[in-house]
Amino acid sequence: MDPIPRQIASITRPVDSLMTYYVLKAIGTTIAFPVMIVLLYFRYHTMRYVFGEEGIRMSWGILFRHEILLNYARIQDIHLRSNAIERALGLARIEIQTASGGSSEMTLEGLTDPEAMRDFLYSRMRGASHTTPASTESAKLAAVLDEIAVELRAMRVAMEGRKDG
Amino acid sequence: MVDEWVARILRVPPEPDAPDGSPGSVQVFRAGKNYYRWRILMWALQHLMLLLLGVALILGFFNFVTRRVLGPMQDLSIMIEVVALALVLAGMPFTYYLQRLDYRFRWYMVTDRSLRIRNGIWSVEELTMTFANIQDIAVTAGPLQGFLGLADIEVRSAGGGTPGPDGTTSGKHSARFEGVDNAEALRDLIQDRLRHYRDAGLGDGDHHAPVAQEPAESAQRVLAEARALRAALG
Repeated sequence: MDPIPRQIASITRPVDSLMTYYVLKAIGTTIAFPVMIVLLYFRYHTMRYVFGEEGIRMSWGILFRHEILLNYARIQDIHLRSNAIERALGLARIEIQTASGGSSEMTLEGLTDPEAMRDFLYSRMRGASHTTPASTESAKLAAVLDEIAVELRAMRVAMEGRKDG
Repeated sequence: MVDEWVARILRVPPEPDAPDGSPGSVQVFRAGKNYYRWRILMWALQHLMLLLLGVALILGFFNFVTRRVLGPMQDLSIMIEVVALALVLAGMPFTYYLQRLDYRFRWYMVTDRSLRIRNGIWSVEELTMTFANIQDIAVTAGPLQGFLGLADIEVRSAGGGTPGPDGTTSGKHSARFEGVDNAEALRDLIQDRLRHYRDAGLGDGDHHAPVAQEPAESAQRVLAEARALRAALG
């Protein structure tokens, strides 16, 4: 497996504009603003990413801590989502699903280049890259058998030629 | 022209890149032409229902219910209803126009390994799935869709919600090819892609997928040759 690209491995924190979006999001909740802004402020400042060889670790929260570990090979589908406000700020969310349940298992926020991240995750998903059929055991066996069939045919043809002649 | 201008203001990204697959295997599908008509019809029906409900509320058809709940606030509620109805009416040109944009900014891509679906205007959504993870395919069409020659194809991976009575889940674990007019061809294409994967599609490693040649078939060929050889001998 190729090593993790530098620009992916170096991501540990969301970008600054995520906080701007959080402020707008909190304003959008009108009366819940004082509560939302505090929650989102801490979420933003405690959010950490680790993109390892095997999978992603994401954590956030001070009082209520969350940590999610997710293996690349277990990714089922990748959603790239954004609303117009997020796009104006150059943001997008990547929601990753595994086979475990109904809602998204992990939502990556505040990425500098969401499309590059999507391509990276896709390249690590199972089924994204072809293993060559020749490398598998059964395909090797099939190839040998096919060769035997060709040899047998050649024998028969040679013999029929001798009989006729 | 106007579409592009609106798309630029809302920063709707252009047609997405196809996911990696074998070169030349990428096929891009669009929603059928009748899908736009279907959306307009749905939009009209929705608004008709809203208008009827609004008028009924304002004329006081449900007063016997609302009086009990609202009491002295009854008079205020009529004002709110009028304002709400006015807002719906004022929004109609925009929502009508959105149907057209939604139809135009919608892509379904299929490669030999994966699929990608892009849709949405205000909220843009793009989904990427590999065929290795797909569990089942559902093709559905309502009477109106059937009349217009349309169908929805839903491709599901493991762990999704429970399917509803119409067989669709509309959850996060599914990809919807909405309003395609070549549903059968597309279904056959997806099924053909799935045939290459013989494991459970539940996160097993990539070692044995996909198998192109079957040893048993090759052994059959050897057997046939051996028989022919004996016949030639005898």
